[in-house]
Order: sequence, then C-alpha cells, then structure tokens
Amino acid sequence: MLGVFTLVIAVLAVIVAGTSAAIIAVRVVRQARHRRIAALAAGPRRALLNFVADNGEQGGPDLVAIPDEAWQAAEPGALALLGKLRGEAHRALVSVFLRRGVARRALGNLHSRSRVRRAKAAQVLGDLELRRAVPELCRLLTDRHLEVRVVAVRALGRIGDPAAAWRLIAALDRSDQIPSLLATHTLVQLGPEAEVTLSAALDHPQARVRAVCLDALGLLGAAGSVHRIARVLTEDGTLDVRVAAAANLGKLGTRAGLEPLTAVLTPATRPTALRTAAAKALGDLGAPSAVPALAALLDDEQFWVAHEAAHALRRLGPAGQDALRAVIEQEAGRARSAGVGAHARPSSAAGHAREALALAAVAAAAHEMATVG
Amino acid sequence: MSSDVIREVLRVSDWLIFAYFVALNSSYLVLILMAGLEFGKHLRRAPFAGADDMFRSPLTLPVSVIVPAYNEGAGIVAAVQAMTSLRYPRYEVVVVDDGSSDDTFERLRAQFDLVEVPRVVPGEVPYRSHVLSVHVARGHPETLTVVRKTNGGKADALNVGINLARHPLICMVDADSVLDPDALLSVAKPFGDDPLRVVACGGVVRIANGCKVVGGRVVDVRMPRQWLIRVQVVEYLRAFLMGRTGWSRLGGLVVISGAFGIFRRDLVVKIGGMAHDAIGEDAELVVRLHHYLREQGADYRVIFVAEPVSWSEAPASLRVLGRQRRRWHRGIAEILGKHRAMIGNPRYGRIGLLALPYYVVFELLAPFVELAALVLLPLGLWVDAVDLAFAWRFALVAYGYGLLISLFSLFIEEVSFHRYPRWSDLLRGVLAAIIENFGYRQILAVWQVSGAAHAWQGRKPVWGTMHRQGFDESPPRDSVGVAP
Repeated sequence: MLGVFTLVIAVLAVIVAGTSAAIIAVRVVRQARHRRIAALAAGPRRALLNFVADNGEQGGPDLVAIPDEAWQAAEPGALALLGKLRGEAHRALVSVFLRRGVARRALGNLHSRSRVRRAKAAQVLGDLELRRAVPELCRLLTDRHLEVRVVAVRALGRIGDPAAAWRLIAALDRSDQIPSLLATHTLVQLGPEAEVTLSAALDHPQARVRAVCLDALGLLGAAGSVHRIARVLTEDGTLDVRVAAAANLGKLGTRAGLEPLTAVLTPATRPTALRTAAAKALGDLGAPSAVPALAALLDDEQFWVAHEAAHALRRLGPAGQDALRAVIEQEAGRARSAGVGAHARPSSAAGHAREALALAAVAAAAHEMATVG
Repeated sequence: MSSDVIREVLRVSDWLIFAYFVALNSSYLVLILMAGLEFGKHLRRAPFAGADDMFRSPLTLPVSVIVPAYNEGAGIVAAVQAMTSLRYPRYEVVVVDDGSSDDTFERLRAQFDLVEVPRVVPGEVPYRSHVLSVHVARGHPETLTVVRKTNGGKADALNVGINLARHPLICMVDADSVLDPDALLSVAKPFGDDPLRVVACGGVVRIANGCKVVGGRVVDVRMPRQWLIRVQVVEYLRAFLMGRTGWSRLGGLVVISGAFGIFRRDLVVKIGGMAHDAIGEDAELVVRLHHYLREQGADYRVIFVAEPVSWSEAPASLRVLGRQRRRWHRGIAEILGKHRAMIGNPRYGRIGLLALPYYVVFELLAPFVELAALVLLPLGLWVDAVDLAFAWRFALVAYGYGLLISLFSLFIEEVSFHRYPRWSDLLRGVLAAIIENFGYRQILAVWQVSGAAHAWQGRKPVWGTMHRQGFDESPPRDSVGVAP
C-alpha cells in the first residue's frame, strides 16, 4: 500500500511541477504572441487611421496591398473602427474590406460546420452592412444553434433591410427563442418601411410575436398603426400583449390613444399591470384632458397604479400639477375642518401627490441649472 | 482487546478521512475543469457577444443598483461616483444609509447636492426599520437616490432599497466594492440574451488590496503586499471564480455574492425580499429563489459571469478574517438548516440532488473533517494504529492534491483572464498556493467549525465591523458630480 502512496506522490509531484511550468509557458507564449501581433499590426493601424482621417479619400490601395498576415493582426481593430464610422469614411473602409475579400470569406463561413465560425461570419457581414448578405443571414435565422441565430438577427439589424422583417417575425415563432428585446431592436433598425409588416403581424397567433411587433411599432413612431394598437389594447386575450399595447400607445403620443387608454383605467377589478401601464402611458401621451381620469386614481388601492397616475400628472405639466396640488389642499382643508391640522396623517393620495410635485420641482431646478450652465 | 479496537477505529477513520480529502479535491477538480471549459467558450464568443449592441439598444432592461451603507463615510463618495459612471444605458443608484453613526450621509449630501423628496415607500417587501428621509441628487434626480433609515442590518437596508427600486432588474452591490466599467453591462447581459429564463446572475468578486484604484476604478492589478491576503487571492480564484463558474455550468449555482449580484425585481418581491434572520442573506435569497421556482415548475436559470468583475477589500488581519469566515460558515449552516427539506429531494432537481448535498458534505463538513484529521492522525501515530511512513504520505497526498487544485486554478486564470500582469505577482500566486496549506487552512477550519456551532446553538448573529485599510487611491478629483 505504501508503494501505491509513493507512486501517487511521485505522480502528483510531476503534475505540480508540470502545471507550474505550464503557467510560465503560457505567459511566455502569450507575451511573445502579443508582441508579434502588435508589431505586425502597427503599420496597418497607422495606415487605417490615416485613411479614416482623410475620410477614405486616400490610402485605400495601400490598405488593400497590406500582406495577409499583417492585415489579420490588424483586422479586429479595423472591424471595431468600422462600427464607429459613418458616412463616406465608413463606405470607404467597407470598400477596403470588400476588396480584400473579407465579405467573400465571411459568406463562405456562413456554411461552416463550426457554429462559432458561422456566428463570427455573420457578425462581420453585419459590421460591413452588406445588403447582398441579407438572404444568407435570413437563412441563418433557422440555424439549429440559438447563438448563431442571435448574431444573425443583430447583423440584419445593422444592415437594416426591411425585406428581412417578415423572416425575423417568422423566426420569433420557435420554441428555442430569440430574445424579444433583441428582435424588437432589430425590427426598429429596419426602419419605417417595416411598419406594414409589423402592423399585419399584430394578428399573429403567438402572443410574444404580437408584443414584439407592438414594441417595435411604438419605437418606430408608427402613428398610422394607432387604431390597430388600440384594438389590441381592448380586444387581445393576453395580458402582456395588452400591457405592451398600452405602453406603446403612450409612446406614439397621438390623441387617438386617449380614449382606449382612459377606458382601461377602470374598473379597479382590471389587472393592475394593465391599469398601471395605461396610467403611465397617459402621462407619456401628454394630453391634459386625461387629468380627471388620472386624478381619480391617486387614492387607488394598488400602490403602483396610484404612483404612476401621480407621476403621469406631473409629466402633464401645469394642468396635471394643479390637480396634484388640489388633492393636497383638499386634504389639508378636511384636516382643518376636523381640527387635526398639521398633525393629520397624510392619505396615500396626498403622499403620492407630494412626491410627484417634489420631483417636478427638482426636475425644473435641474433643467434651469442645465439651461444656465 | 479494547486498545486493539481503538487502534482499528483510528486506522479506519484515517483511511476514511483520506478518502474524503481525495473526493473533496476531486470535486474541486471537476468544478475547475468545468470552469475552464466555460471560460474557453466565453472567450471564443467574445467577438460576437454583442456587448456594444446592448449598450446602444434603447430596449436594454434598466437596472436599479442598491448600495446598503453603514458607516462607510471614508469611501462612500468615491464608491457612488464610480457607480454613477458605469457603462450602462439606463440605471439608477439607490444608496441606503442604514443608520450610520458617522458622516456617510453628510458626505453624500455635500458631494451630490442632495435634496429631500417626500417619496412614498411601498411595502412590497417587509422592512423593520423606519425610513427617515429620501433624497435625490438635485442635478440628476433620476440617477441617484439616497435613503436614510434607522439601523436594521444589511438585509433590512436591501429590502428598503428593493422597495424604492424603480427598474425591473436590481443589482446589489457592497458600498466598498469597486466595479469594472463594464461590470453592469456584463452581469445584465444574460437577462437580455435569455430573458424568459434568467432570473439571477452573479458576478465574480476579486480582491482589490494592493491594486491601484483611481477615480473609483481599478487601473493596475497587483498582488497584495501581505501573504495573508495573497493566500486569499488564490482562495478567491479557486472557490469563487472557478467554483461558481463550474456550478453555473452544471446548473447548480446556489451562491451569488452580496457584493455583486443582479436579480429580477418581480421575483425578489414575490419571495419576500431578503430574509432578516439570515446572516448569509445573499446566498439564502438564491436558495429561496430556487426553492420557489422549482416548486412552481418554472424553467429558469441562475448563472454566473466571470468577467468583468467587482473588486472588494479582503480582511488584512487574522481577527477580521476570523470574524468573516465564522460568519460565512454560520451562513452556510443556517441556510442548509432552513432549507433542509430541499436536500436530497428530487422535486428540487439538481439543486436538491446535487448542489445542496454537495454543500453539506464538502462545504459544511469539510472543516470538521480537516480538524478531525489534525487530531486523529497524530493520535493514530501515538497508539500505533498507523505508522509514520503512512502518516507523512497521507499528509503529502492530501495537501499535494489541494496544492494541485490551486495551481490548476492559477493556470486557468493565466490562460483565460491573466489579470496579474507582473511576473513577480505570478510567482507570489504560486507561492501563496503552497503557503496556504501550512497554517492558513487549519486556522480557517477552526473558525468555520466555530461559525457552524454558533448557528446550531442559535446564538444571536453579530456582523462585526470590517476595518478597512482603503485602496491605493489617487487623490480625489477636484470637481465631481453624478454622471448623466
């Protein structure tokens, strides 16, 4: 038995020594590799910065002529630079990438067996904002690996071709889902031309698809879809979808949203999340005619309904803030007539009103400071 | 006859202890290998992870960063400045001054031009103390809220912060933590990637002692000067970075450090917020979250991200370290006792069948076995139950395997994140991995046993005071304010 122990100790000693040596070797190799890459990338990096500083007018052929090894060392930096550029400089740098065959290689890598390589290729095509890659990226929306689909969705957003809208919506209807927020952001990046597709998708059988499309319409400012969204608010069978409809009616800020939003505030038996979202949306809507309905909610039993109503009144400006003051004064009057004066315990309505007015005063002071500054 | 029996019992005990050490270190090895795989996956995917897209998206979920503070006057301004200038699209910082007797609040008021607002504090999660006042920064009322309350402990302060948090994600951060600029972005990213399932995400905590901190940022990572803290650096790498990443990959993460963790607010409210009676309230919250979600049959994930990080000051004296480790182990004992119905129960899946039993056998009991070995092995030698040749080989294999585990952790750290750029720091790390076996582990076991005993005796929990040395901080900037 002792022999086994001795053997184990010897093996452990070898592994300990080997691991210590490996730690040192890893550092030596990494530092040498970093130095080599830094040396290789230094020239191309200078050329890239000069090229961008000249708005891409000069130096393009020099960048194309950089040897492959040096370009590969500089490519991550060049791709990062691409994301920061707009306009002519961006187009010129994209042209350099295309002439170096980066897009061709990336399109080829979309068919790679490695999911990491497929995802990297999709990322590069998105960075290049290459429209001709859209059909291939749309094909990637059915990739068996979620992480590849996610990168394809982001790339389609960067490219911003509205033709991809319906494929993106179709990709949402899977069990292994693309994150809703990412899908929404991408649909928004496709621009106003996607509105028709998004509006049509409000009748989609999947609640998640309807919610995503509602959020995208709200962010796009699709005022033409207000009536359809109002219909979803009143008729949809899923609470989350109705909440999204309420929030986005507020964002769209048209008068057509006023009546349906006011209608869902009462009775108090309606879901709290819906009433809270509607109260908040009325504040976003900016219509002073919502003041009476919101003021009536200040003593609501549900904390968040009353809280959002008070803050919606604050955002509605003088008319809303007058209503908040009125609640406080009414309560003070009642306290005086009851003979308790300043010792009265404030009601929740007055509490919410005081909070909203105080924040309005702070925000006004901050705005004034910023204006003066 | 009886002496033969005693000798046989001691001999068998020594072998059992040896088997336990092998199993314990093998379990660490599995977790470290899992962590290595996870880091490899993470690093290969970094080029297309989309962190910048998340930063630019108007839809990124906003976060409420809750900072409980008790007598943190010395560092609170720098900490809040750093927290209000994190790289994240939309978030608020809620500082809860838990009845500090020092000038914590006054410093905040002077620095951020705080103005009192009559906020209505909802009672969604229970708190026992009394909220004295709520303040916002005059120039940026949406960004910074400071609450003053009577002292009620960390859990109580966090509950007040949860009540006042306005955003769907809440991030709990210690007031002495220094966050990397992208820390919030990284720790919130899983919620954007998998919003239907991710319910909580922990970030790695590293030791800031010895590092250079400028403007609330760690700008130069160095090994601390004291060996006591260097040993803790290796321990944090092995247990927190590697261990928790391994558990995250196995789907059995039950500890998210209170120093840096992010949760879905609605779920935290639903399970009643932080437990007032738990000394390890951070881990207890995660276990309770598992408890609730498993009972609901929910498909969910609790995960851990290894980079970037939150930096924290580690105890520099044995006295403070002892208090901290007693408290930690007491926390483990209390949590396992409170949620004992989950242990071994298939209803709770991997948490009930794997993670919690592991915590009982290899976390809670480990110091007891370590101390037993320190007593029984010499005793076995004394009564001739084992011979000297066995004893020294036993010790060498047990501690050698432990050393190997620490070296593997250093190796994976060097391959993946290589946060310590100096050769001298690398050498100190390797030496610390050796030194921890001589005295540190043994004294730790004594404190841990004492902590568990306090839990089982039902003694009143005492948090104690952490005497901070402060970071290697450059002079403060002349003019500071809340970042927009």
